[in-house]
Amino acid sequence: MGLNYQFVLWNKHKKMYDKIIVLSMLLYLILFAVVTLVFNSETSIETLILRAFGSLAIVLLHIILVIGPLSRLNTNFLPILYNRRHLGVSMFITALIHGGFALIQFHALGNTNVFYSLFTSNLDYNSFTNFPFQVLGFFALLILFAMASTSHDFFLKNLSPTVWKRLHMLVYLAYALIIGHVFLGAFQQETSPFTIGFLSVGFIVVGSLHLISSFREAKIDKSIIDKDAQGWLKVCTIDEIDDDRAKIFTVQNERIAVFKYDGKLSAVHNVCKHQGGPLGEGKIIDGCITCPWHGYQYLPHNGQSPPPFTEKVATYELKLLENIIYINPKAFEEGTEVEPTQIQKT
Amino acid sequence: MKNEEFYVPYIEGSLGMRTKRTLKRFVFIALFLLILGALLFSYFQNTFKNSTFELTKSTEITGVYHESPYPMLRVQIDENTYKNIILLGFGKMGAHPFLKKIRKEAITLNGKTLKIEGNLIYYNGKTLLQITDDEKVIMINSSITKLPKSKAISQMSFQGEIIDPKCYFGVMKPGFGKIHRSCAVRCISGGVPPILATSDTNNISQYFLITDMNGKPINNDILPFIGKPSEITGIVEQLEDWYILKINMESFQLISEKSNIYD
Ligand code: HEM
Ligand code: FES
Repeated sequence: MGLNYQFVLWNKHKKMYDKIIVLSMLLYLILFAVVTLVFNSETSIETLILRAFGSLAIVLLHIILVIGPLSRLNTNFLPILYNRRHLGVSMFITALIHGGFALIQFHALGNTNVFYSLFTSNLDYNSFTNFPFQVLGFFALLILFAMASTSHDFFLKNLSPTVWKRLHMLVYLAYALIIGHVFLGAFQQETSPFTIGFLSVGFIVVGSLHLISSFREAKIDKSIIDKDAQGWLKVCTIDEIDDDRAKIFTVQNERIAVFKYDGKLSAVHNVCKHQGGPLGEGKIIDGCITCPWHGYQYLPHNGQSPPPFTEKVATYELKLLENIIYINPKAFEEGTEVEPTQIQKT
Repeated sequence: MKNEEFYVPYIEGSLGMRTKRTLKRFVFIALFLLILGALLFSYFQNTFKNSTFELTKSTEITGVYHESPYPMLRVQIDENTYKNIILLGFGKMGAHPFLKKIRKEAITLNGKTLKIEGNLIYYNGKTLLQITDDEKVIMINSSITKLPKSKAISQMSFQGEIIDPKCYFGVMKPGFGKIHRSCAVRCISGGVPPILATSDTNNISQYFLITDMNGKPINNDILPFIGKPSEITGIVEQLEDWYILKINMESFQLISEKSNIYD
């Protein structure tokens, strides 16, 4: 998987996904233009472009932001997550058209350069309602640019997943900046309870979905684990794990996935090397742990991706005492062979 | 409620029924919200003015040049009726850089008759002309025509907003207020004359060219006040179809109400 960045195949689902994105965006822009031209025909074409693309970008951003928590709450949403980057890049391009157009329209052809003008034409940085809202949009656009341009797996490899993940967490900062941009900008002058209400509800939905899904995760993290005399941790009984599936336990701040398959047990570090997907929510397919996000695979007994791929995750030692599974909390090196624990047939 | 479905992108047929149903539902809801967004954002825009900018059409205008104190062209439109057309440069610039060339022919331009080709901007009885090419400014008559003097009226106070006339009278929509402030700041610092736009309770608008107490241009001092509802006191003078308001920057007051020009 690591050898070939094109692993994520251009399959037919992906094409359908892209078609839906492009058609929905076109539909939005056309609807916006038609309604404006019919009800407010004195518009200028520049304002039409600026507003259609700006508002489309923020609607797309809301859709992108609910996909994460929805798929943590219900794994049936995972196929959307799997292709979220296309939505992200489309959203960036939309925002770039809006922001680029605004920069040219409001700041170009003047007596200073465009960027100097962006920061200095309105100096009310200490005011709330007069705040230079365009600056907020500009910083948001920079973040979106950084994310869109590193969204390819190539960067994932070369930036290390942790750095990449941090970079992509900045989307929340971008969202906050954009909310500020709109509420301190357009909404100060184009004050309609309908558009303000629409974005406020959007904000509440995005916020509460994130809260709910992180509460659920916090519950997993709290699962209490008893120690035995040798320092092994008691995790659960065999029956609590389904065949070819896993349960996730948090041991010394690391999540570990314990898999049951072919009458055996194996444990690996829960975090997928691709984009940090939760391996413990995956499934054993063809004898391999298969990540629920994009399908990267690892052998349960050594945490290695089957050749020719080279990904490796840490492995753990298990033991079984009267149907109760114990785990040695000390992780082995990534890719270390561990003899699977046999479950006695009774 | 166990969910046995497990989609793997590269495994044909792994997209289960329940997953498919979830995805379809998601797409429909997202599409519905997208359409709702398009309708709300497009329908609930404030009404645009019918101001006009003839971007692609040029017009030739002949008149007497004067600076009162901003560059204008006085055009006769009827017997004893004159219209003063404000001259502007290309982009966010005043007219001066585009008059440098013609100034080589005559040290003072005041009172000379010029023919200028440019793009018209007009709204609510006021007209402006954008000069895009200094080659298209031609001296027609270098003898000096006598110009009328502005008449003092009285000291008065007005509520309104400082706008840049280029955008307000046609180039941009909306050409006022917070959304447009940065652009107006660029225009006025680039030499476009600042204008106070007011509007009374009957929605009749008045426009005042702003100068200092000596009748000289103010551009930089007024920048922090552009695009904000304000109350301004000054001496009103009339120059044919334009009012001029001579102000002391100290008399400038920001007010919290929205000015009527938003309606
Ligand atoms: C360089 C960056 C940006 C600049 C200079 C900028 C400038 C502006 C301006 C001047 C307006 C008011 C336009 C009007 O209502 O007539 C506006 C509105 C808006 N902007 Fe931005 N913007 C930037 C980036 C962004 C980004 C990244 C987003 C979101 C993804 C965004 C979303 C919006 C939205 C939703 C509105 C309100 C709807 C509208 O009027 O278009 N902007 N922006
Ligand atoms: S995160 Fe992409 S396959 Fe695991």
